[in-house]
Amino acid sequence: MAQAQTKAHPEPKQYVQIALLLAVLTGVEVALYYIEQGGVSSSIVYPTLIILAALKFVIVVAFYMHVRYEKSLIARFFTVGFFGALMLYTVVLGTFGVLASLGGQ
Amino acid sequence: MSDIAHDEQVHETTGIETRKLAMWIFLSSEFMFFGALISNYLLFKGRPGFPEPYPSEVFDIPFTSVSSFVLLMSSLTMVLADHALHKDDQRSTRTWLVATALLGMVFLAGQVFEFAGFVTEEVPMKLSTNPAASAFFTLTGFHGMHVLVGVIMLLTLVGVSFRKGKLSTATGLNLESVALYWHFVDIIWIVIFTIVYLIK
Amino acid sequence: MANTGAPTSTIFRRPKQSSSWTDWLTTVDHKKIGIMYGYSAFFFFVLGGIEALILRLQLAGPDGSVLEAAEYNAMFTMHGTTMVFLFVMPIGAAFFNYMLPLLIGARDVAFPRMNALSFWIFIFGGIFLYSSFLFGTTGPPAGGNLPGGATDASWLGSTINGGWFMYQPNAGPRFSTGTVLDYGSIGLQILGLSSLIASVNFIATVFNMRAKGMKLLRMPVFAWMTTVVAFLLLFSLPIIAVALFMVTFDRQLGTLFFDTFQGGDAILWQHLFWLFGHPEVYILILPAMGIVSEVLPVFSRKPLFGYPAVVFAGAAIGFLGFGVWAHHMFSSGITPVAQAAFGLATMTIAVPTGIKIFNWLGTMWMGKIKFTTPMLFSLGFVALFVVGGLSGVTHSIVPADWQQTDTYYIVAHFHYVLFGGAIFGIFAGLYYWFPKLTGRMMSEKLGKVHFWLMFIGMNLTFGPMHWLGLQGMVRRTWKYPEEYNFGTWNMVVTVGAYIIALSIAVFMVNWIKSKRKGVPSGMDPWDARTIEWSIPNPTPEWNFGVNPEVQGLDDWWHRKYDDDEEGRPVRKADADAVIAQFHEQGVNPPAPIHLPSPSYFPFIAGLSFLAIGYGVIYHTRGWGLPLLIFGVVLLLSSLIGWSLEPIEEEHEEVHA
Repeated sequence: MAQAQTKAHPEPKQYVQIALLLAVLTGVEVALYYIEQGGVSSSIVYPTLIILAALKFVIVVAFYMHVRYEKSLIARFFTVGFFGALMLYTVVLGTFGVLASLGGQ
Repeated sequence: MSDIAHDEQVHETTGIETRKLAMWIFLSSEFMFFGALISNYLLFKGRPGFPEPYPSEVFDIPFTSVSSFVLLMSSLTMVLADHALHKDDQRSTRTWLVATALLGMVFLAGQVFEFAGFVTEEVPMKLSTNPAASAFFTLTGFHGMHVLVGVIMLLTLVGVSFRKGKLSTATGLNLESVALYWHFVDIIWIVIFTIVYLIK
Repeated sequence: MANTGAPTSTIFRRPKQSSSWTDWLTTVDHKKIGIMYGYSAFFFFVLGGIEALILRLQLAGPDGSVLEAAEYNAMFTMHGTTMVFLFVMPIGAAFFNYMLPLLIGARDVAFPRMNALSFWIFIFGGIFLYSSFLFGTTGPPAGGNLPGGATDASWLGSTINGGWFMYQPNAGPRFSTGTVLDYGSIGLQILGLSSLIASVNFIATVFNMRAKGMKLLRMPVFAWMTTVVAFLLLFSLPIIAVALFMVTFDRQLGTLFFDTFQGGDAILWQHLFWLFGHPEVYILILPAMGIVSEVLPVFSRKPLFGYPAVVFAGAAIGFLGFGVWAHHMFSSGITPVAQAAFGLATMTIAVPTGIKIFNWLGTMWMGKIKFTTPMLFSLGFVALFVVGGLSGVTHSIVPADWQQTDTYYIVAHFHYVLFGGAIFGIFAGLYYWFPKLTGRMMSEKLGKVHFWLMFIGMNLTFGPMHWLGLQGMVRRTWKYPEEYNFGTWNMVVTVGAYIIALSIAVFMVNWIKSKRKGVPSGMDPWDARTIEWSIPNPTPEWNFGVNPEVQGLDDWWHRKYDDDEEGRPVRKADADAVIAQFHEQGVNPPAPIHLPSPSYFPFIAGLSFLAIGYGVIYHTRGWGLPLLIFGVVLLLSSLIGWSLEPIEEEHEEVHA
């Protein structure tokens, strides 16, 4: 392939390790769900769940989608698309008063 | 046929392969698409006064967790297929492509089973039960459609590799782009699983 | 010397290049696709114009009886929908298609077959939308009547009738039974897909297909505006796609998104629609601004004043355009905080717009102005767009907007910016780039008649709407009573509309005459600045005989002219020789050139959307579901066949 790759891509072994990490994170998420059922405050559990999901998200994007290894233009498309959508819909939901009610849960 | 004319025509001003670039461009717009669907669900899911059941009341978390795990593993097989093609190992590429498609189909089967369950509950949850249900089915339904399209693309790649003897980059469909698409579908599910299923 | 490529066998033989009608069906050449977009868009322009003329007959005097209420709703809906989605957007696409590769020094777009697909989806989407006249049914709301007391609308009224914005739940299943609004929601969905595919294509083209030395900040402004528009489409179309799916599901599958009787949310539709709808209006105006930025410097014999500022202002308009959507909802019951925020945000857009206006004025200042037809239309654009922009800024003041909303004042605003702005800009582009298409010049005499008739007609039509609106004349209402004294000015408006129609007729005569018998243009008839004029007219099939190498902004100009100590242009001694040399290599390329081969898959894939559209609407009838399945299968098989088809026939892979 003639395309310039700025860093060497991971080997299969590393991909499998990443997959295991993702599986573990998912397991923790599910465990947290049951912990919350069991009575732990949702204001601790929910932010943690979001952080865990964000972690999985970034890991797949960076390593499986190779964003970490590509030219920065690719990362820019991802960032603009993702954060743009995030900001826009946060404003939309805000206009509906949804964010206020979510925070109260 | 002059090779000079050929090379001059291979334009990659950014140095990024054009189909890969195009897939990223497309995926950045898909964030807006799923963002709207997710916002929709967030808007309706907590509104009081709808006829029962609300989606969060009928979820089967253990089942969906297994589904999520399956989809996550399909990202692994996908990246292994991509890696194998880079090493020009046609047989492994094919194997991993088939594995990814199979895992995708297992996920889809799980979704179908899950939806069928909701619809046949004692107090069923259908598209028309209440707006939250409408939003839930629409969001997860579109995600499922995206998985289905992905499976079709994967199987097409497998077909191309048999037909031409090897996967090449002269045809339009390109494994690296399909891989990006597949991972995208996975990360959307990561978001959906947490925000829709786990956070009530 | 284009390589046509022999057909190889797939299931059917791949088409060869020829000049028969099948050539047009299977072409992947951006120029031919641009031409098809252009003629189709103009055809819809005439249809949309006829709809307007009918509306104006109804409104010419008080208590008009030309149209029934239901027919009036259909006419204003189709006028708006046609003009926005079937004229201004596709003619923008026509310009992007034809000109973008030329402006960046490329042979074609990044994905030629996908480019053709965008066109075929568009044309079948437009046909689908208009087939609502033939097949669509209107139905009264449950237990009610259609406007005016009718129980069924006439032929003229049996088309999409919920306004181009299809507010819910009015345009939903409960209040609009019948099928016309399914044609509307599904038709728009199909059209949106066409533009989305095109936007991915154009962005990839601009990033990856530029000629050597064509850095981003050396691209002509029109190429920049194309890029900004493509990004706007990329990020706004998904939102309307979701909204339209929600409507379609409400209407076809019983979902409850917008059914306020069962917990649905009417305001949600407005948010989703305008999240798309506001960037949409910048999609409509930015191409025209790009054209004007090309034309003004050429006919002022001066470079564009502040090129980076004009480019960044265009990008800023696009970006800010995503933050102001709720200014269409000031009277819909959003909170005071939201009103203040969106009002303020709306005012900020005036800043980059103003930057562009001042830079255009700066371009012309102390220039040697030549009042050709494209220049007249560009000047008209600047003047009329300022008027429209000023009335727009008055809308950003929320209490004032409460007075103006739903009156003709708003109609005046958007017609000044869309007609005085976008359409004048489009005509400037058509006159300016006509030689590239045809190798001939349009008649200046007829062009000037067209311009003045259109300028006068346009102001007579939309000027009075300002005060009619402030006097209280309401929008979307099929008649007004005698007592309001709106009759005189409405008659003026109607006369103005017919003058516009006359001016369009003059244009059409000019186009047809000039295409056949216009003065041959030669290579660089306007003595222009940018790279598309460095190749022969009409544009050869391969665009550039030799891949261009660009050394700076306005590269073509600097090959012909130096600047003296006071910055005035001095023609180089060898300018004529340079022009002749470029002409020769454009007509006789030194090396063989490979062009992408034609394909019938885009046509078939586009056609499948017709089957899918009708299948969805009529899926409850016996033949509907099979038709839908057939459409889906046809689409999938054409896409799979496409992916098996090489980009060029009989060549080895070119990517390593």
